[in-house]
Parts: sequence; structure tokens; C-alpha cells
Amino acid sequence: MTFFSSPIHRLALLAGAALFALSACGAPEGGGDAGSPGDVNVFSARHYASDEAVYAAFTEETGIAVNVVEAGGDLLIERIRTDGDRSPADVVITVDAGRLWRAEQAGLFQPVPELEDALSAVPDNLVHPQNDWFGFATRVRGIAYAPGRVTAEEVADFTDLAGEQWRGRVCVRSSNNVYNQSLLAALIAAVGTEAAEAWAHGVVRNLARPPQGGDTDQVRAVAAGQCDVAIVNHYYVARLARSGDAADRQVADAVEFAMADLAGRGAHVNISGAGLAAGAPNRDNAVAFLRFLLTEDSQRAFAELTNEYPAVEGIAYENPVLAAYGTPRADPVNVNALGDNAAEAQRIFDRVGWP
Amino acid sequence: MAVNAPTRRFDPVWPAAFAALICAAPLLAVAALAVFGPWTDYMVHLVQTRLPAYLGHTALVTIIAAGLAGVIGAPLAWLVARYAFPGRGVFEWLVALPLAMPAYAAAYAWYDLTQGFGPLGGYVPTVRGPVGAGIIFAVTLYPYVYLLAREAFAGQSADAYDAARTLGESPRGAFLRAALPLARPAIAAGLALVVMESLADYGAVVHLGAPTLSVGLIRAWAGEGATADAARLAMILVAIAFVLFAVERSQRRRARQSAPSGKRRPPRRVKLAAPAAALAVVACSIPVLLGLVIPMGRLGARALSAPLASDLLEAAGNSLFLACLSGLVAAALGLAAAYALRSGRKPAVFAARLAGLGYAVPGSVAALGVLGLFGLAQSWLDTGWTFAFGGVFPALLTGSVFALVFAYQSRFAAAAISPAESALARVTPTLDAASRTLGAGPGETAWRVHRPLISSGAMLAALLVFVEVLKELPATMILRPFNFETLAVAAHNYASDERLGEAAAPALLIVLIALPPMIWIARRITGGATGREITR
Repeated sequence: MTFFSSPIHRLALLAGAALFALSACGAPEGGGDAGSPGDVNVFSARHYASDEAVYAAFTEETGIAVNVVEAGGDLLIERIRTDGDRSPADVVITVDAGRLWRAEQAGLFQPVPELEDALSAVPDNLVHPQNDWFGFATRVRGIAYAPGRVTAEEVADFTDLAGEQWRGRVCVRSSNNVYNQSLLAALIAAVGTEAAEAWAHGVVRNLARPPQGGDTDQVRAVAAGQCDVAIVNHYYVARLARSGDAADRQVADAVEFAMADLAGRGAHVNISGAGLAAGAPNRDNAVAFLRFLLTEDSQRAFAELTNEYPAVEGIAYENPVLAAYGTPRADPVNVNALGDNAAEAQRIFDRVGWP
Repeated sequence: MAVNAPTRRFDPVWPAAFAALICAAPLLAVAALAVFGPWTDYMVHLVQTRLPAYLGHTALVTIIAAGLAGVIGAPLAWLVARYAFPGRGVFEWLVALPLAMPAYAAAYAWYDLTQGFGPLGGYVPTVRGPVGAGIIFAVTLYPYVYLLAREAFAGQSADAYDAARTLGESPRGAFLRAALPLARPAIAAGLALVVMESLADYGAVVHLGAPTLSVGLIRAWAGEGATADAARLAMILVAIAFVLFAVERSQRRRARQSAPSGKRRPPRRVKLAAPAAALAVVACSIPVLLGLVIPMGRLGARALSAPLASDLLEAAGNSLFLACLSGLVAAALGLAAAYALRSGRKPAVFAARLAGLGYAVPGSVAALGVLGLFGLAQSWLDTGWTFAFGGVFPALLTGSVFALVFAYQSRFAAAAISPAESALARVTPTLDAASRTLGAGPGETAWRVHRPLISSGAMLAALLVFVEVLKELPATMILRPFNFETLAVAAHNYASDERLGEAAAPALLIVLIALPPMIWIARRITGGATGREITR
């Protein structure tokens, strides 16, 4: 009888050997061979066909390989923070300005002076005041409504949704969702904390049903007659309208989408944004990549494949659904304010009991 | 026998306990954050606003989930273990398959089916709220109870049941009074897993509008940026898990006093007549329909009108690789921890108990703990390396397969320990005593006496962890190497973006990959001794 005759020992030995062998193949990728253009390491909270197309086009044009890790924005931030100086991250991409704000607060970004010319075509309010990050595509949070039961004038402004005429007619998802948090954060910036809280309170009173499902489900609820209006992002409606499923298109046909104003200041716009990581090991490649996000072809890809609005002004694209919505007249507040007010917004949701 | 000497001096309990402690380390990191992290006024705000609702929802969801899962899982196990009916051999593994269905995916599909505009809208109540979430957990997680209970029923000597029948009990009475109490530790272990996984879920409860404590802590972290407060809320979940283990343990102790040992008369399967057999088939089909076939069908129907996700084969390969490796490691760790528990030595028991607690913590918090731990370990390694060789340690701990496998062990230790412990419970102290009397050391006793009795439990541990790893999300997402997709990550990416159709294909592949090992292990566990059938 020897030590290794027990099943536990043998299994442990086997597992240990396997793990040891594996730790070698899990080594992080470095900058690539000398002479080759190398890599760019992208930490992204997005997962879209448009992005894969843009990455592929970037590699084709520059020869730089794009390595991607996709995860939720908060997890990405924690990983980069944990890895500290040794983080392989070059570029960080998220789908909400609040997350970019938090990453910037954690010191994960560095300004990119080289991009100043490219960013001049992007509206100022979509770019961080110190150039730490910028929006490369935008999404509008507006109101989907049933045209037979609601007129366009009635949903011209978000602030109206708190009124008594909407009792039992409003659908919206849970306040756990970051798009709702950013909407309220923008409203705080527009009208102040107290008025924003009163508005949230009014909306909760007007709910047709307890929040459930995602934005698409709210649109379906309007089409099914469970409610008359729903607060949703524009691309969920656009996706239904462009779906291969006839039932989806039927839902989209039954609703209209209004880019409601935020207290008369314009539509609530959130960004898909990117920034240069503070310790980017492949800085030059990363800058080239960030610049590539703003090229005409990339901007078109976001509009045509993901139904987002290009951040760069004056980009032509083929997307009949987006064209029908028109170009948003955006609230001029800098999207940085969405991060500034995010925590306050969440506390308001807690206080008014928005589930 | 001179060869026995080394094993006698070497006590395997301590390395086992150490391994368990390593598994518990990420949770300890979270605990440290909870204790030493900065205090803000957020906790006060939370107590004043949402905490009571979070706790209420948590209680309701877990009670419904555990109650229903027990009512489905235990009788199903009895039916499959003790009766013969057409298709029994298939149902034996088929009814375990809903375990491969991620709860959040089932929630998306069922909600999609039953909401106003869905095909079932208006005919059945919309699956939503705490009740809906409890039902979703029950129909996807009951296989824990089923698998563990069936193992217990199949391994149970028929003596107690037969004695009860001889004493005039009806089959039902004999089941309730003799067979069920003997299987109690296994059922309790299964229920504990159901409850802990329900506690840890985030995706399903958010989608169905049943915010539980795990939603509260993710919100504290994501919305408020209060990681320390999130860690504090996680400690409440850990405390609940701790109580669960205590209850389960007291069940086990009570059962051990009455458990027969050694001599086993394998139970025989009673052949059911036509009407009863038809009922049995229906009873076995319903849970599979609810937990797997119907949600899968809904996702599949949506898939028909959606483009197929790319690189699914590569993702499947990655998933399979991670799941196999982790299942293997988990079987070893589970057994080691179970031995540590069995030894009764206080520090060893403590370490093993600690390792199991991570299961009740939402995956993203566990991932946070692993990250924190790796950050610390990396700085030590780098410092040490600088002293010894100059420069920094050549490898980065995060973003490696090693990191993933470690995270899985710490997260799913409970799923590995429970079956192993449940199986070890069958090895009574008298067997050890007899073995020692005959001159065998601890190692030889483990190999020649314990192994035949516990190998099925070890395989079950490997299977549970295998399936868990196939479904795991947050840790995989954040610790994986570059360009390393798994099926669960692909399914979640699409589902969370409300693209149900594209999520269907990877979700379907998860189930298909889980199938072969489930069949194989189900065959192994039940093969041989319990195969006899009798006609009455």
C-alpha cells in the first residue's frame, strides 16, 4: 500500500497535474512579435454583430489583431482595477455613460489628445470634459405608445407621464436597469432632485403592472393592450420592426415611438462609449482602434447592424426604421452628468418604491 | 504489513481541510471586505427603503422553490428507483436534464410564452413575481433532489420498507414512514442545493420582477458603487446558507443512528400494471416538459427567425473542456472535504463547511472575491519574484484557465461536497472499525472499503459540477482569457440583450452537451445490483 493508492490522492494528483499544465496555456497575451503590428486588447460590455464587423475591418486595414473580453461593465471595471499596473486592457467599451464615469473615477482612463481632430465631429456633450472617454454611438430612451389610444402630443415630454391622466396606463421595466437609472439621472440634471423624485413618484403611481421583463416586453405589452405607453430604448422597437419574425413586426406595427423631451430640453440620449485604458500596453494600437470607431464605415455599421445612431455628425446610413424616427434633437447636457447623478437616481428609485 | 506504516502516520484529513480552506478563500476575501470596507450611509438608506422587501421576496421565492422541488424530486426518485414501467430506463436520466437549463433562460422563455402577447397569454397566468420565480427554480432545480434521493433509494436496503409492509403499512405508508426517513439526509442535501442556488440567482428574479437579496446586493454594487455594502449583504446570504447546513447536518445525524450498514438486500422493482404505468410515464414527463422541453421549444421557435450565432462550435469546445476539468477536480475536492467532515475534527469540519458556503452567494460576488484574492496573490508573487529574480512574476493570474477552474471550485464546492458526504454517510463507523480490526490502515480502508460504496457519490459530484460549470456566468465572463467564449456566455449575452432567438442555439447546446455524461453516470450509479424486476 502506498500513498497514491487511495482514490483521493490519485484524483488530487491527477487534478493537480492537469491544473499545472493548464496554467501555462492561460498566460496572457503580450504585444506580439517584433515587426508585426501586434495586438489591441479590448474590454467590452457590448456583444453585437456590428462590433465583430468593425473589429474584423480594423484588423484587415491595419493588421493589428483585436483580442476581446466581453463582460458586464461593473465586472470589467473590477478586473482592470484588480490587475492594476499589469492589466492587459488597452480599450474599455461600455453601453452606458454611468459606467464610463465610474471607470474614470477609479482612474482607469488616460486622455487621448491624438483624437482631438476626430472628435471634433462628435457633439461636445457626448465627450468627457477632459477627453477621458467619448461616445461613438447613441441610443435614445423614449416612449413607445399605442397610436389609437394616445396622441403624439400627449407623449411629447417625459414629465407629462407623472400626470393623473396616465393612471394605470404606463409600462416600464425595473429600476435595476441602468437605462432607467440614467434617464432619472438626466432628469435630475434637468429639473433638480426634488422635482425628479416627484416625477418618479408619479410614474410609479401610474404603472399599469409591476415592472417585469425587458424593454422588448414593455413594447409587447403596449401592443397587447396591457398599457398605453412604455418607456423604452429606441433600438428595441427598431429591432422588432426589422425582425425576420412576422409576429415581431406585427408588434412593431402596433406601436409608434416618440423621442420624448426631457423637460423641454430635448431627447434623453445615452452613449455606447470607449476610452483608452490608463496603463494600455499597446497604446498606439489602441489610439488607432479608437480612431477607427469614428470612421464612416464603423459609424454606418452601428447604425445599420445595431440600430444605434452614429455619434459622428453627418454620417449617411441605410436604415429605413431609424430614418423614420428622424435624427434625435438631444438634451444638450453632457452625458458625464448621468454618472454624476447615478447614485442619487437610484436612491430616489428606492424611496419612491419603483420596483 | 510494513507498507501500511506511511499511511498510518500520514493523516489525509489535513490536506483535505487545507484544500477546502483554499476553496473558501474567495468568500473570506468578500467577508474581509464586508468587515473592513468603508461604511457609507447606504446601509441605513437600504434598511429604510428596500431591505424588508428584499428579505420577504427571498423568503417567499426560496420556500416555494424548495417546497415544490421536494414534492417533485423525491417521489420521482422513488418511482424511478423502485418501480418498473415502460421507458423507465430513459426517464432515469431524462428527468435529471432540466438541471442543464439555466434558470434565467427558463425564466425568459416562460415569461415570453405567458405574457400578454405570447402564445399562452390569457390562457395561463403570466409567470412572474416571487411565485413565478419560485416555480421556475423548482422546475429547473428539482433534479438536485431527484438525483440525490434516487441515489439514496437505490442504495437503500429493502429491509425497512419490507418490514413496514409486513406490519400492514400500505405502499404509500411504507414509503412515507420507512423509505423517506432513511433518505432524509440525501433529500435535505438536495433541498439545500436548491435553496442556495435560488438565493444566488440574479437573472431570473430580475426578469420576473421578484427582487431578492441578491438583486439588492448587485444594485448596491452596480448602482451605488458600494462594493463593501454589497459584501455585507452577501454575508446575510452566507448566514442563511450556514443555517441551512446546520439543519441538514442535524437531519443527517438523526438518520445515521438508524441507518443500516454493511449488509444490504438490494431493493427490487415492482412492475406496474397498465393504468398505473401510464400514470408513471405522465408523472415523469411533466417535470421534464415544464423545466426543459417547453422553455427550450420557445427559445427554439424564436431561433427560427434569428441569425445563427457564430463560433458556437469553438464555444462548445471551451465549455466542454472547462466543465470536464472542473468536474474532475471537484470530485476529488468533494471527497476530500467529505472526509474532512467525516473525521469530526473541528478545524477540518470548519474548513469544509466554509468551502460549501460560497454556493449561496451570487456568482458575480463570488467572482469579485476571486478577483480580490488574485489581486493580493499577484502582488505577493510579484514582490517575491522581484526579490528572487528581479522583474515581475511571469504570469498574470486573471485571464487564465487556472483562474477559472479555481473560481468554479470555490463557487461550486457545495455541489461537490453534498453528494460525496451523502455517499459517505452510508459508510458507517462500524465498517471502519471492522476494517481496522482486520489490519487495514486509513488508506487501504479508503480504497478497499469506502471506494466501492462512494464511487457513485463521487461521480454524482463530478456531474453536478460539470453541469454547473456549463451554466456558470459571471466568473467565466470576467476571468476568462481573451477571445475565449463559452456557451453560457454566448447564451447570456444574447438573452440579456433581449435577443431570445439567438440565445436559443447556445442554450440548446448546453443541454446537448450535458446529456451524454448524465446518461453515462445514471447508468453507472444504478447499474448492476438494483436491476432486478419482479412481477406482482
